[in-house]
Amino acid sequence: MTGILAARNLSKWYGQVIAVNNVGFTLGAGVTGLLGPNGAGKSSLMKLITGQLRPSQGEITVFGERAWNNPGLFRRIGFCPEQDSFYERMTGAEFLQALLRLNGYGEAEVRRRAQDALALVALADARDKKIAAYSKGMRQRIKLAQAIAHDPEVLVLDEPLAGMDPVGRHETIRLVRRWGREGKCVIVSSHILHEVEAMTSNILLMHNGEVLAEGDVHQIRDLIDKHPHNIYIRCSDARRLAAALVGFDDVVGIRFHPEGDAVTVESRRPDDFYRRLPELMLEAGLELEEITSPDDNLQAVFHYLVK
Amino acid sequence: MMRSPGAARTWRDAKNVAFITLDTLFWSKKTIFVAIVSLLIIGLAVFGRLILSYHWVNAPFTPAQVFGTLMSTAVVHFLVVFVTLFYGTALISEEVEGKTITYLFTRPVSKAVVMLGKYLALLWVSALLVVPAIVLSYLVLYVGADMRPFMQDVGLLAKDMGIVFLALLAYGSLFGLIGAWFKHSILAGLVYAFGWEGIVSYLPGFTRKLTITHYIQSIFPHENTAGAIAMLIGRRTEPAEAVVTLVLMAVFFSATACLMVREKEYVLEQ
Repeated sequence: MTGILAARNLSKWYGQVIAVNNVGFTLGAGVTGLLGPNGAGKSSLMKLITGQLRPSQGEITVFGERAWNNPGLFRRIGFCPEQDSFYERMTGAEFLQALLRLNGYGEAEVRRRAQDALALVALADARDKKIAAYSKGMRQRIKLAQAIAHDPEVLVLDEPLAGMDPVGRHETIRLVRRWGREGKCVIVSSHILHEVEAMTSNILLMHNGEVLAEGDVHQIRDLIDKHPHNIYIRCSDARRLAAALVGFDDVVGIRFHPEGDAVTVESRRPDDFYRRLPELMLEAGLELEEITSPDDNLQAVFHYLVK
Repeated sequence: MMRSPGAARTWRDAKNVAFITLDTLFWSKKTIFVAIVSLLIIGLAVFGRLILSYHWVNAPFTPAQVFGTLMSTAVVHFLVVFVTLFYGTALISEEVEGKTITYLFTRPVSKAVVMLGKYLALLWVSALLVVPAIVLSYLVLYVGADMRPFMQDVGLLAKDMGIVFLALLAYGSLFGLIGAWFKHSILAGLVYAFGWEGIVSYLPGFTRKLTITHYIQSIFPHENTAGAIAMLIGRRTEPAEAVVTLVLMAVFFSATACLMVREKEYVLEQ
């Protein structure tokens, strides 16, 4: 992999709090998922990559240049921040045009690029609407548009799917995959495994400021599957459901809840379990009232990896 | 003289940042407060005009005297200080708190130029709010059947405008620096404006030269109480020296603010 982005012994701390701890990696073209629970250090790492934070130790380079205080790099980098903050009085088009002018384009180019970016994120119809009147999903999309409007080679997207509706999510996932195929270096963060899985199979797994694992997402998926997974089910007859579940070889534990109408099942292969469950409910004549997973998949994997 | 491409690019980038900043500065709650203060000043001018017209005070009173008092007390030592304090300290801190600063800091523009652009926006928005109050006050006090005093004192108005501009430059750059430096910048600005300046400028000796107000008083064409007290405790600085000092102060404070923003790491709260 040709290194577009490289971190060496990279650390960042705020007083006594370590946000990024001795991280090292090299990323090339394609999509890389930055995966980790809230507070893992993903946003700090992204701000280090985009030169908004100064490393406390080690270094981070983009195209061989140090990222901190290097504004010239932003001709080649696009950043989509996590925070939902905007110049609310501007329209979507004004927002993009104002930022594109800072990239040094002439007025005709500014207008063309703004129009293209708006069309790409399906906001062309809302171009003259004030951002203050945008829905949460539209705000996410305009944030994405400002990151890509200058056609950067490196895209750093911090939780780009947060708050998007299913159609918006699908469209954004498709775009991210396309940018990866086109040879851009895309780093996209999320704390939800299946979101990242839909965009790429290449991941950096972060926890407590450290990179715990780097590589293929399927290895992570295997780890999750090996680790018992808690599933909470409330139905019309919890005891009859438990009796039926005992026969599943992936089920390693069943716990009844005091209210009597719910069980928590521990499964070693949650995907298989979810696939078979509807059929079992139908055969047993049970009515499903609620099904949730109190376990955060990733949290379980992190505990597993840390151990 | 031909400008270098670097200077042209810096000017263009600063102007673009200024346009983005103008919108957020102008359409804020601060503007309502500043507009009220400006209206109060015009109200004082109307009151002065009534005094002049109906001879409520049995003393020789001219429009120039009322205008001078208004300028020295209400405009330069109050409105200008408030406008630059409110907007100057908010230049960086407000965008950091609102987290919109990320959009400016992730563009191919030096952070120092971002600060410069914001300083330009501060000057524009301050001038936009202060100049109408001065001009309207002048019109209220001078317009009448006899327009000779109006014409005679136009030079005085122009000089006052120049001094106000110098005051905006100097105070704006100082409060911009304070805003870039301190977390609770408005408090630090208030301490300077009404603590340090209020006390030190009336102390005898060299220390009063460490205030902006001393140099403004030194070039002010009107006689006023503050100027009279200053005269009692020490000489004014020569006008040319005062003007140069105010310009140098503005350059020093704004350059320091630009360097500070460039080197400082702004950590946005999650």
